Amino acid sequence: MDLSTPVRDALAELLLTLADDEFVLGYWDSEWTGIAPMLEEDVAMSSVSQDEIGHARAWYELVASLTDDDADRLAYGRAPEEYRHAALMNHARTDWAFTVARRFLYEHADAARLESLARSSYSPLAELAVKMRREETYHLMHFEIWLRRLAEAGGEARERLAAALERLGPDAATVFSPLAGEAALVEAGILPDPLDALRSRWLERVGPVCEALGLPAPDGAAALPPDGRTRRTDEFAWLHGELTMVARSEEAATW
Amino acid sequence: MNDQALTDAFYAHVMGGGKVEADDWMPDDYRAALLKFVEMHANSELMGVLPEREWILRAPTLRRKLALTSKVQDEVGHAQLLYRVAEDLGKPREQMLADLLAGKTKFHNVFHYPTRSWGDVGIIAWLVDAAAIVSQQALRDSSYAPYARTMKKICWEESVHIMHGRDVVLTLMNGTDAQRAMVQEALDRWWGPLMQMHGPKTDPATDRDLIWKIKSKHNEQLRQEFLSIYVPRILELGLTIPDPALRYDQAEGRWQYTEPDWDELRSVVTGHGPMSQQRLEFRRTSRDDTQWVRDAIIGPATVAAA
Repeated sequence: MDLSTPVRDALAELLLTLADDEFVLGYWDSEWTGIAPMLEEDVAMSSVSQDEIGHARAWYELVASLTDDDADRLAYGRAPEEYRHAALMNHARTDWAFTVARRFLYEHADAARLESLARSSYSPLAELAVKMRREETYHLMHFEIWLRRLAEAGGEARERLAAALERLGPDAATVFSPLAGEAALVEAGILPDPLDALRSRWLERVGPVCEALGLPAPDGAAALPPDGRTRRTDEFAWLHGELTMVARSEEAATW
Repeated sequence: MNDQALTDAFYAHVMGGGKVEADDWMPDDYRAALLKFVEMHANSELMGVLPEREWILRAPTLRRKLALTSKVQDEVGHAQLLYRVAEDLGKPREQMLADLLAGKTKFHNVFHYPTRSWGDVGIIAWLVDAAAIVSQQALRDSSYAPYARTMKKICWEESVHIMHGRDVVLTLMNGTDAQRAMVQEALDRWWGPLMQMHGPKTDPATDRDLIWKIKSKHNEQLRQEFLSIYVPRILELGLTIPDPALRYDQAEGRWQYTEPDWDELRSVVTGHGPMSQQRLEFRRTSRDDTQWVRDAIIGPATVAAA
C-alpha cells in the first residue's frame, strides 16, 4: 500500500498511541509480579503484562518500519512529553481495585479499537489487530470476572472498586482522544471507524456492566479533554525515570 | 505390622531407592524432615522473586523486559508448585506464609543480599540459578515422588533462566568498559554467597535428608559440581573469580578454594543478612496491602496466632 506523507505520518501517530497505551499499562501492571494478592493471580497478571509489552513491541516495530526508527529507541529513548498514551495510563498501579477498574475500562476500549482495526485497509495493522484480539479477549474476561467478584463481595472490596472507578472516570474515554490526522486515516480506510464512534460502542458495553453491578459508569456526555494523550503526571515521570534508568546509564550501549 | 515394623519397612523401601507418594503412609520424622526441606525451598522461590523484581521496571530493552518478567513469573509459579507439595504434607499455605513472615522459617542465603546494578540481574540469572539447578537436578531423584516430579518441571524452566542470564552477561562483556566493570563488580559481590549457597561440608553418614534420599547429593558434591561446570565458563567470558586460592587439584580430583565464610552464612539465613529484614518487611507490607482482596474472595485467613 502506497502511503502519502501526511497519511503515513498520521498512521505512525495512531500506531504510537496503540504502542504507548500497551507499553505504559504493561509497565504499571508488571509491578504486580511477585506481590499480587494470590500466587495464582500473580502468575496470571504477569502473563497479561507480558502480553501487553509484546503487543507494544509489535506496534513499535511497525512504527519504526514507517519512520526508519528503532523499537527500543521508541520505547526507552524518548522524553516523557513525547509519549502518546491516554491519560488513563498516567496513574500509578495503586491498589488491586484500581488495577482491576482500569483494566476493565481499558480492555473494553482496546477491544472496540482492535475489532475496528482488524478491518483496516493497511494489512500489517489489520493482521496484528486480529492476532492481538485473541489474547485480549482473555484479558477482558479475566478482569471482568474480577470486577464482578469485587463488586459482589461488598464491603471494603466494593468501596475500593467504586472509588477507583470514580477516580478513573474522567480519564476513561481518553483512549478515544481525536488524532491530528484522523480524518485522512478514516478516508483511507486505515482507521475503519472514527474514534468517536468507537467511544460510543465502548460506552454501550461498559455502561450496562457498571449499571448492573451498581458501580459508577464513565460519563457518556462529557467532552474529551484536549490533552487526553499529551497530559503527563508526576507518577508517569517517576515511571519514566525508572524504565529508562539502565538504558540511560550508558548511552549508545547494547544491553 | 506394628508401628516399628512399618517404620523399618518404610526406611528399607526409601533407602533401597523406593518412592513415596502423598497418600502413602510415612513415619512422622520423615514427614517432618521432608516438610522442612520443601517448605524452605518454597520460601526461597517466593523470596527469590524480590531481588530480581527490583529490576522489572528497569530492564533496558523490550526483549530484556519480557525475559525478566517471564523469569520472575516462573519463580512465583515454582513457589506455588512447591507450596502445594508442602501443603499435601499437612501444613496449610497460609501458615507457611505466616511463619516465613514471622521469621520462624528460613529461605536461601542468596536472597538476603541487595542488588546494585543491571550486572546483578545477569549474575543472578546465570550463576545463582546455575548453583540452584545443580541442587535441583539432584532432587529429581528424591524419594518423595511428588517433589521429584515437580523438580523436573522446575529444572526445565531454570535452564531457560540460565540461558537468559548468560546472554545478559555476555552482552555486557561484549559492551563498553563500564558494562564489563559492572559485571565484574557484581561477580565480586556474589562470589562469596555463591560459595556458601550449598552449605558447609557435612558428614553424609549422619545427614538424615541424604540417608532418607529426600535429597541425593551432599553439599560438597554439589559445590564441586557447580565449580566444575561454571568456573571454565566464567573465565571464558573474561571475568576474574575473586578467590586467589581457587584451583583444580588434579591429584585429589577436586576444586580447592578459600574456605567460605560459614559465620556469614549462619548469620544471613537466620535473618541477619544485609537485606533480610527489608525483604521480609516488604513482603509483609505487600501482603497486608492485599489482605482485603483475599478476605473478599476466599474469606478471612485462619492462621494460628504467631
